[in-house]
Amino acid sequence: MKKIFSLVLAFTLMLSLAACSGAPASQPSSSAPATQESSSAPATQESSSAPAPSQELPSIGNVIQYNPNQPVNDGKDISIELWYWTGAANLFQSLADKYAAIHPNVTIKLVENPWEDYWTKLPLALQGKDGPAIFNVHNSQHDNLIGYMAPYDIPVADMEKEFVGATGHIIDGKIYYTDYGLMTATAYYNTKMWEAAGLTDKDIPKTWDQFREIAKKLTIRKDGKLVQAGFSYNGGIQGDVLGMNYQYGQNLFAADNKVSLNNEAMKNVIQRLKDMYAVDGVCEYNFGNNSGDNFGQGTVAMFLGWGFMTNVLKQNFPDTTFDCFEIPTPAESVPYAYHRYNGESTFGVNKNAPAEQQAIAQDIIRFFLANDAIQKEFCLANAVFPAKGTLKADADLLKVPSIAVLADHIDRYIWPGPMPSTVENNVKIMLEDIFYNKADITKALTNAETTINKDLANLKFTSQEPMYKYASEAKK
Amino acid sequence: MAHRSNEKNALGSRSEIILRNIMVISLIAFFTVFFVIPIIMALVGSFFQWNPLKLQFNFLGIENWKGVFTSELFWRSMGNTIVFAVAATVFRVILGLALSHALYSRLIRHKTLYRTFYYLPTITPMIAVAFVWKFIFDPQLGLLNKILNSDINWLFDDRYALIAILILTIWKDFGYAVVILLGGMYSLPKDCYEAAEIDGAGAWQRFWRLTLPLLKPTILFIVITSLISYFQTYIPVMVLTQGGPGTQTYLATYLIYDEAFVKYNFGYASALSFVLFLFIAVLTGISFKVSGKNNAS
Repeated sequence: MKKIFSLVLAFTLMLSLAACSGAPASQPSSSAPATQESSSAPATQESSSAPAPSQELPSIGNVIQYNPNQPVNDGKDISIELWYWTGAANLFQSLADKYAAIHPNVTIKLVENPWEDYWTKLPLALQGKDGPAIFNVHNSQHDNLIGYMAPYDIPVADMEKEFVGATGHIIDGKIYYTDYGLMTATAYYNTKMWEAAGLTDKDIPKTWDQFREIAKKLTIRKDGKLVQAGFSYNGGIQGDVLGMNYQYGQNLFAADNKVSLNNEAMKNVIQRLKDMYAVDGVCEYNFGNNSGDNFGQGTVAMFLGWGFMTNVLKQNFPDTTFDCFEIPTPAESVPYAYHRYNGESTFGVNKNAPAEQQAIAQDIIRFFLANDAIQKEFCLANAVFPAKGTLKADADLLKVPSIAVLADHIDRYIWPGPMPSTVENNVKIMLEDIFYNKADITKALTNAETTINKDLANLKFTSQEPMYKYASEAKK
Repeated sequence: MAHRSNEKNALGSRSEIILRNIMVISLIAFFTVFFVIPIIMALVGSFFQWNPLKLQFNFLGIENWKGVFTSELFWRSMGNTIVFAVAATVFRVILGLALSHALYSRLIRHKTLYRTFYYLPTITPMIAVAFVWKFIFDPQLGLLNKILNSDINWLFDDRYALIAILILTIWKDFGYAVVILLGGMYSLPKDCYEAAEIDGAGAWQRFWRLTLPLLKPTILFIVITSLISYFQTYIPVMVLTQGGPGTQTYLATYLIYDEAFVKYNFGYASALSFVLFLFIAVLTGISFKVSGKNNAS
């Protein structure tokens, strides 16, 4: 009996060894993947009722058009995977459902991975033939993904006509992905605290000096102890600092695509932030460690956050009433650029996927780009300014405060290109050294610049700043 | 015949020999596939500019190794790691000794209950513990500042950030030392203590001259395993400080994680890993030598 048991144990061990070997994982991650098959029930799309089988569906789109009556994969059943990172399962399910309603022979399996895991698992999966045919892209990971992407089979000219920023995404005459929405740094303010301080809409600051005065008015101390910060940037302001340099006419990257941080513009930006705490007293470095969370918790009156914070605040802190205004500038005159924007990217097509799956992926992308309703849904979900021209004046989108602030000056926001994550990561370290470790600003800027440029030397990054409409106004 | 029968008994029956061989071969195969081959691949990779995510594998010679030894961040990380590992180990042993000695006392009841409470943090996943402690360390809302009536920004003050990570680690791991040392105390010969009592030795003398020397092998075991474990700490850093403020709480393994999984610089990360591996190997060798001398004496 003992021998039989031991034999079974040994056999099981050998089996487990054999099971562990094999091709690189093209399977979803070990964290529970949200594989969801799209429903085959007809879904509402542009019309409110399911069309009879013989009824032709209207064509969708403006410049980029989509014909929903054209069968895909010759009507034969096909299944593809769409990978995305955690946070928007409903959004992708909605897209999958709408597409499957038109093409019931297509099954779109949604596979979700946590953000950190996504960026290692996705490139490895794309190397094999079993990876997802279509996947969510973030441009900070451009360098690791571009080698696996197939170009869109939509004419580049059509993309450029219809989508802001498409030109900046052209590589060797082709587009592999672009932006469906644009996001930038925005000032969020608590409307109740604003009113309590006796402020009105007329007090919305346009310049940094005005902003500092408002922040002082919003700061409350009791018995010398800070109880309400007028403005906080605790917990990380690197995403906002990287962009304020443009207000001084200073580009972030030099002609040789190396980052330029150690300059007067950046020193001014950082010194102003330090002075807000040390001189104006609008906050303290140990008054909370996350300005966004502290804003939601009701201890901070204003903070700088990107557009996505709109929905984060609504979801996590529904009782906090807030509004947004455009990021202030050094002077009242129109700056070289108000700030930079970054785009929420459209999907990528896996060039290693089987041809028929790639064809479906391309079709989904055309459907996604042509469909204003879906574009609007995605923009609302991420609180981003629509890159699609036909949605610029959409009333529902302009009701979102972080979107509305961009509407007047969208052409005065610059896209530096698919900035690798080393830039933000090292600027974060630099700012912590300056604010918390009392490092010298110039030394910290120099160190960060050196480290980032060492990393950039291993990456194929090309700055898109020369493509900016007002690039000629930059400091030489 | 008798000789052959004895030989057969010494080695076991034929089926036992086959079973043993299967087990041993399976274990060797397991270690080869999951340890030896990856280690060799990492060593080879350390001489390359290696990013498997974009199939980049360019020969660099010793550039990665040169980069490691000339990196200020590497030396700071190693310094932080040594300080952290030694401090955490010392506190773990001292706290473990104190509590296990207290639990060993005849005056304490419900020993099993206390043992369970002390061991609970040890078996709780570090990631969960780290997230809870992140709230505890919050400068405004955190429990620690409220208890101490202080105004310390634990995770963003360069004087306290590493201490914060130490506090978390000691809180989580002291239970392991308590349980091991308590087990050690139960195995100590009672007659020595009886003899000491008869000779008039007080409690402190018994502890210092009997308990501590007799527990030396157990303490040494805890020290060695603790040092090896703490040299590989990175989860508390990842959750609490991300190496900050600035790079003040970078530990060696966090630096490796950062280089490999944030910057995708696997070649450089492999070189870092090997330097850490050699360091731990030397440390382990010294520990075993010291342990061997103690056993001999």
